[in-house]
Amino acid sequence: MLTTTPHLYVRRPSPTTAEFTVTTCPPLTLPLRLALIFIFLLRVSTITAALTTIYARFFLSSPTTNSSPLSLLIQGEIFPLITHLLYTLHTSSPGQFLSNNLCPIPSWVLLLSSSAVIYFAFFVQLYTTESLLVLRGLGIQISTGGWGRKTRFIPTEKIRDILINEAFRGFEVRYYLIVLVEGEEDVVVVFPRLLPRKKIVEAVWRGVRGCLFEGEGTVGGRKDGHV
Amino acid sequence: MPENDGLMRVFWPADLPRSDLKGVVVGWRNSALDVFVLTILEEVDPRNVETALKLGTLTRYAPHPVNRIYELCGQSSLHVLGLSNHPESVEVDPSWIRVTTGSGRKVPAVTCARASSIQIILFDRPLPGRMQYISLNPIALALGDKHGNFRNESIEEEEEKEERLKQEKKKQLVEKLKQHSVFKRSPSPKEKALAKVVNQINWAWELEKLLQKNVGRIGTRPRRALSVSERVVESATTLRDIAMVWLWNLMTIYVLPVIKKLFVLGLMAHRVAAEVLLTVLEWRARPGYAALKDISATAQQVEIRLQQFCYWPMQYVTLRLRKNDWESVTTSHPDYIRFYNSLWLVANDVIIGIALGSYIIDNADWVAGEISDLLSRYTVEALQSSISWLMGWPAGLKLNGELAEFLGDLFLWVIEYWSSCIETLRPVLPHLIWFIGFSSFAGASMPIALFSDLLSILTIHIYSFYMASARIYHWQLNILISLFHLFRGKKHNVLRNRIDSCDYDLDQLLVGTILFTLLFFLLPTVVVFYLNFAFARMAIISLKAGFDTILSFLNHFPLFALMLRIKDPGRLPGGIRFELRDTKDFRYAVNDSPSSSSTSPSSSSSPSTSIIQLKSIPLTFKAMFHQYFQMGHRIRKHYLSPRVVLALLTGKFVPPLNRKNLYSLQYSMLPARRAGILDMWDAVNSLPAPKRKVGPVWVPGMSGPFSGGGSFPGTGFNGSGGYNRDGLSGRRFGR
Repeated sequence: MLTTTPHLYVRRPSPTTAEFTVTTCPPLTLPLRLALIFIFLLRVSTITAALTTIYARFFLSSPTTNSSPLSLLIQGEIFPLITHLLYTLHTSSPGQFLSNNLCPIPSWVLLLSSSAVIYFAFFVQLYTTESLLVLRGLGIQISTGGWGRKTRFIPTEKIRDILINEAFRGFEVRYYLIVLVEGEEDVVVVFPRLLPRKKIVEAVWRGVRGCLFEGEGTVGGRKDGHV
Repeated sequence: MPENDGLMRVFWPADLPRSDLKGVVVGWRNSALDVFVLTILEEVDPRNVETALKLGTLTRYAPHPVNRIYELCGQSSLHVLGLSNHPESVEVDPSWIRVTTGSGRKVPAVTCARASSIQIILFDRPLPGRMQYISLNPIALALGDKHGNFRNESIEEEEEKEERLKQEKKKQLVEKLKQHSVFKRSPSPKEKALAKVVNQINWAWELEKLLQKNVGRIGTRPRRALSVSERVVESATTLRDIAMVWLWNLMTIYVLPVIKKLFVLGLMAHRVAAEVLLTVLEWRARPGYAALKDISATAQQVEIRLQQFCYWPMQYVTLRLRKNDWESVTTSHPDYIRFYNSLWLVANDVIIGIALGSYIIDNADWVAGEISDLLSRYTVEALQSSISWLMGWPAGLKLNGELAEFLGDLFLWVIEYWSSCIETLRPVLPHLIWFIGFSSFAGASMPIALFSDLLSILTIHIYSFYMASARIYHWQLNILISLFHLFRGKKHNVLRNRIDSCDYDLDQLLVGTILFTLLFFLLPTVVVFYLNFAFARMAIISLKAGFDTILSFLNHFPLFALMLRIKDPGRLPGGIRFELRDTKDFRYAVNDSPSSSSTSPSSSSSPSTSIIQLKSIPLTFKAMFHQYFQMGHRIRKHYLSPRVVLALLTGKFVPPLNRKNLYSLQYSMLPARRAGILDMWDAVNSLPAPKRKVGPVWVPGMSGPFSGGGSFPGTGFNGSGGYNRDGLSGRRFGR
């Protein structure tokens, strides 16, 4: 429900510039939005629970001052504030329940598992989004990933050609878009993580050819829509 | 126009001040429809600007040669690119752009009579004063292009060969793919301009400042004379300045040269001493034999430090020469980072070393006691007990008692002799430790290297045991294999490198089989002894690897680069990236309001525009530690390859990793060939003489910074540009 098969969005403000985005994120409808909000809350609560557990096991100490968190915030004392909040969380009933249930687990297992939980709750992404930006006269730019977004820009001067290639992957044949770069011994794969279907790849290829090179006409790439 | 497809490309500085005043857009014209905007000169006449650009009025009083700008930006002159905020009625050249900016809009609206579609590329200007810049390729933190030579010299290793073959195969495949593209397009001038544009972006800030400074010289402007009160202030500050300048000149003429001369002489003496030491360290009895630095970690550490001391003056000279050029020249920025990184690392090393050294010296007796304790516990007693354990029936394994006793006694006897040697060493140990502690004032890496060497010397008996047992085990295994062939009625044909069948006589077969059985039953005994020493040897190797890792962190850690990455990522460019901005808010900006788009006639003719933001990618952390990853990969490849495991199992000698490969990391900050003594002498003496300040003189027609306290010694000679009418550098003041 939360993800779909990869599909293509095209942004093309002028005939010489286009951005092709392939994503697994379905169109945002109301139930989906609610589900996303729910997942976000779940993540936040998981991280809080893991943090409280670590705090209760390793750093537990009753707060030194009895001032309210608001006054601490106003005074700008961050550490007492955090300690105060964690202590309050720990003494609340869910916190007590959690710490009572986790009592028999040895410390190092707890530490490792809580860190793993925090890591996953923080970094796991629901969707994969990859995009290709084509700028006539400049080059193309491939970007992957949401959080630590990685981009790679290839100047037009260095692009030897853009091709659709096919390869075996498991028991299927996949068509994928590649860029041949001058003076590089490896080909550059566009949309390397999603490897979308042939239909999408073809549409992108036509769009890129039409957009990047002068005098090849404008083919394919419908404006601002689904393919 | 041949390359005209109606696409106009405009590079626009995003941080250019926006104003509603009429102005003239000035910048570079890379090709007909490819313009790079530098600045907008306000309230001037375009014709006057054009003549001023032709005469060079706008680049007058530049602190450095103006030709350098044109050379690096790839254009022969600046151009008037168009008009800003002029009404539509004003007639302009068809190739000029018409810009509408204002304090209300984020992005300027650009139109051009010849263009049918427009790309506006916004960029944030890097600040040259802070050494920010952008580049297409990631900044190189290591000195490149010499490790290739390193590898050619050394004999290519098996894994490397395999890797190379794999790469060649891949290359062939890609070559085949390349044949699919039938014709090769010739790149258009716009595409070729990218490298130039990058330079122009780097220059944009400094050049804009220069143009804005000179904008007052365009056309006729009323010249205002100084009022009386201003004159009074002027002369007062002038008097104070004259006194200060007189003192400063006294210093620069008499005191500084002497100090400088002494310093240079000291430096040269040091260089000569370093040369002698380095020759000793690098001396090989024969080419191909190991030099001292290949054997000992200490010698290598000393060599690295000496090489660094030899390289620093050269680096410093390069960096000093940077001051005589425009700030926007970015070629020496990696050098700057490298220089200060190595300086900082050495300083850190010395600081840690002083702490460590004073601790060791204060507790020399205790440290010595601990070390001799550890030595006797692990290299003597543990070994003895493990050997006596093997001489009994270890873990219920029934070994051959006689052979085990023989081997065990042999090793025990050697160990006993060795322990007596260590006993004689014990009284010397505190002095040795004291020496090591003292050496750590030269940096914490020295005692670590010394300890590493001490470890290899004091465990030499384990090494020899390992070698001996490995040899015995290997022989036995080989004999067993050939006897096994004999047992099957076959033999190994050396000429064809295969197994042939062979007719043996009965007595040959009989004796061979008996020997085979005998040796086969003796094998487990030899194996356990071999494994025992092999494990001990591996433990020592990993300990030394640990020391080497600490050393490489102390010598090479990219501390300065990391600090820069956190403080100012703009100084470590890792490439560029583009972002397509939403055109929707832009359309508002073009037409000011959505409703006017239907009414105003100009909007229908406005070309389709895309807004692109150009950003610099900071260098990734992975790229910073690239060499560590490479070294780790190489070590893993070497020691965890199946070949090495096989060699370990069959008792063959495990070749240690080539030291050159292992230490390519350490040397990556140093040039492959160090500069000679004479080169250094020339370089050190080529430094420009310190500038002599001239007393402030009031130049009529110049205001503010050119005649006031700007040329005060401490403020770094701001005003020098004022006197420098011919546009040459300020060096002539020294004469």
